[in-house]
Amino acid sequence: MDPARPLGRPQIDVVAQLGVSTILLGGIYALIAVGLTLIFGIMRVVNFAHGEFLMLGMYLAFWAYTLLALDPWFVLFVSIPLFFGLGLVTYVLIMRGIIHASHNVQIFTTVGLSIALQNLALVLWSGDFHTVRPWHAGAPIRVAGTAFNLSQVVAFFIAIALTVALFAFMRWTHTGRVMRATAQDRDAAILMGIDTDRVYRITFALGIAAVGAAGVLVSPLYAIYPQAGLQFVLLSYVVVVLGGLGDMVGALIGSLIVAAVEVAGSYWFGTAWKEIFYFLLFIAVLVFRPAGLFGQRGAETLGA
Amino acid sequence: MRRALARHRGALLLFGAAALTPVVVRDAYFLDSLVLILLWGALSAAWNVAGGYAGQVSIGHAAFFGIGAYSAALAGTRWQQSPWLGMLAGIALSLVAGAAIGYLSNRLRGPYFALSTIAFSQVLLIVASRWRGFTSGSEGIPVPFRPGFATLGLGHVAWVYLALAVALLYWAIQVWLERSRFGYRLAGVREDEDAAQALGIPARRLKVIAVTVSAALTSVCGTLWAQYVGFVDPFYVFSVDLSIRFALNAIIGGVGTALGPFLGSILITSLETYLRATLSGVQSGFTGIYLIVYGTMLILVVRFFPDGLAGLAARLRARRAGAHA
Amino acid sequence: MLALERLTKRFGGLTAVREVSLEVRAGDLLGIIGPNGAGKTTLFNVIAGYYRPDEGRVVFDGRDVTGRPAHEIARLGLTRTFQIVKPFGSLSVLDNVMIGALTRLPSTRAARADAERVIEVCGLGPHAAARARALPLALRKRLEVARALATRPRLLLLDEVMSGLNPTELVAMIDLVRRLHADGLTLIVIEHIMAAMMRLAQRIVMLHHGEKLAEGAPREIAADRRVIDAYLGEEFVLAEA
Repeated sequence: MDPARPLGRPQIDVVAQLGVSTILLGGIYALIAVGLTLIFGIMRVVNFAHGEFLMLGMYLAFWAYTLLALDPWFVLFVSIPLFFGLGLVTYVLIMRGIIHASHNVQIFTTVGLSIALQNLALVLWSGDFHTVRPWHAGAPIRVAGTAFNLSQVVAFFIAIALTVALFAFMRWTHTGRVMRATAQDRDAAILMGIDTDRVYRITFALGIAAVGAAGVLVSPLYAIYPQAGLQFVLLSYVVVVLGGLGDMVGALIGSLIVAAVEVAGSYWFGTAWKEIFYFLLFIAVLVFRPAGLFGQRGAETLGA
Repeated sequence: MRRALARHRGALLLFGAAALTPVVVRDAYFLDSLVLILLWGALSAAWNVAGGYAGQVSIGHAAFFGIGAYSAALAGTRWQQSPWLGMLAGIALSLVAGAAIGYLSNRLRGPYFALSTIAFSQVLLIVASRWRGFTSGSEGIPVPFRPGFATLGLGHVAWVYLALAVALLYWAIQVWLERSRFGYRLAGVREDEDAAQALGIPARRLKVIAVTVSAALTSVCGTLWAQYVGFVDPFYVFSVDLSIRFALNAIIGGVGTALGPFLGSILITSLETYLRATLSGVQSGFTGIYLIVYGTMLILVVRFFPDGLAGLAARLRARRAGAHA
Repeated sequence: MLALERLTKRFGGLTAVREVSLEVRAGDLLGIIGPNGAGKTTLFNVIAGYYRPDEGRVVFDGRDVTGRPAHEIARLGLTRTFQIVKPFGSLSVLDNVMIGALTRLPSTRAARADAERVIEVCGLGPHAAARARALPLALRKRLEVARALATRPRLLLLDEVMSGLNPTELVAMIDLVRRLHADGLTLIVIEHIMAAMMRLAQRIVMLHHGEKLAEGAPREIAADRRVIDAYLGEEFVLAEA
């Protein structure tokens, strides 16, 4: 169900349709990116495997739906603790060892993880494209000349809710404050007696939980296959760079911008060329505005 | 001269063995594996110029490979030209693309640069796979086989020697990088750009040169590969998996060493051949398994054996020398 | 040899270097002192081409090199070391110094011979084959100097080469710098260790909040009220007296 397919109505309707599409899409991208910006902002590691966890979330939803006839919205609640746990395991086994390592080690470790996960999916579940089509995927909602399906709308609201929850956690809980402190100055945090290992553990687990949940949420909206994560990875990095590393509010705004580019691009050039836009956008952002829209270099703040 | 021979006895052994193989072995399948080992080795050596010697880690080298492959295929099918001409066109295009990527390397740090190279190769993939009018879109281009050297239509034995020549050339280029003034200064840039600049080294320029040369070398092999395999599939020649493969061989074998990419290629390609033989019949299952192995190897090698196979060999040699002393 | 004319460098709202003017003649050994954050390293960065000054000029050997890239300035004969040393970690000491020598020399063979000589001069002989990152700090500092020396500079900027050294190492480093100066090298030295500065410098400049507060012979500076108030403190004066 392509959110940007025009309905052949007058201009205003089209703009409204595109506008709402952007917002809906933006919300989902925000959930993906917010986890990434946390990981990047606090741990300073570029995780090339981030998209693979999204893919795993999509597969989780698929198998739950196919084998157990469970709706993705239900699976969501299970997926959050599940992916949190997965994040912990991944951290302990892999990420912990590379936090202080050179860039190359970080790049190739997470790239290795990415290939391993992609192909694990390939081996286990084959490369066939799968879809999840719960009842709400085909249920249209028509509001003021725009039309969407229920899946998108609910995905959006849940994504926003989760993002806000994460935001609140970072802002108002003790752990959240500790995490932000570590992001600002790792050495000072250590000197203050903060257990940075615990901070990283939670950060990574939260980030993976967020992206896993996002995978479940978007499963009705996209094709599911082992390499589904790749486009999202680059996209989320565009968002993170645009918004400034570690800046959660920036990630939200960045998501909207990226969604807008994708929606507009699809509308004008057709969906076949859609993917090219975030890649071009990515390169453009890196070349012209690597410090992000708000000029934060290796942003120290976390949206508060 | 004798010292040079002694120093490079590993390479002498390997390339010598490769040269003698067609004399001894006639099995087409075996020779085919040999050609692939040599080509993959050369491709990783090309990657190594940018990734190992200049420290610019790219995960998008498939972009240049694909350019080379398509240049040959298009030259042969669209314009009825010799693939060698296509190779030249591919080199020219890759020089431009490489310079662009080199420019990016001066603006972006490590992981971001790597991400941007992925983006670049993906853009090319999408363009190639959708531009039906020019590149036959997602169907790919079958490369016609016309016997003869000018059209690169060769038999297995000839391919072995051609691949060997290329491999030797690329190995020699790397050795030159280890011993030349340019190479030393490039090493300085790799280790610490600011410090290198303080020594009068134009760091940015050297990086661009390294990446551009690396791109051209990759493109040449792309052309050869397309002619050898006979089919250009956009989803393969521009894929991220392929880019990773180039880096993988070099890392496993010893990044930043001349023989490393070839050692890595021997190990990885042999492993792949072995797995293919034992798991034949399980199509996608096989593809996935050996890539899982590679992914895991990458994680382990990069953390625990950063010097790769070449490093292990050097350590063994040192220990043996110590034992004799 | 070097003339700085009213150099100013700002970072956003902060003026790190403010209207600093200076002259260094061939054969001089000029010392720069000042509290942390006074702008000393920033000044070096501007002179050596790592930063572009907002105002003012840098004139080296009669040539205006303001705003030229760092590697060009190094090629002209102005080399600097870094306060936090930057060795080429995975390369050997010899390779490190060779890369310095290659600034002037066209072949690696000539560079190797030259590097071996410089290594001896700097007392790094026994460590020539060691990997740079395996060296302790004192030797790394020495390597930093050796590598810069190999570029055959006409003017060498040393940024706190003595910090972090124990007394024995300190004596050795002071000796090295003195020998280099005696051999005709022009030097500008940033240091916090006043005892060393007093022994080595012919002239001292004090920077404070980016401005040149005082300039003169070591004795004058040590006695200068402003310098004492801003930096040295009373104890130093008493010790020297």
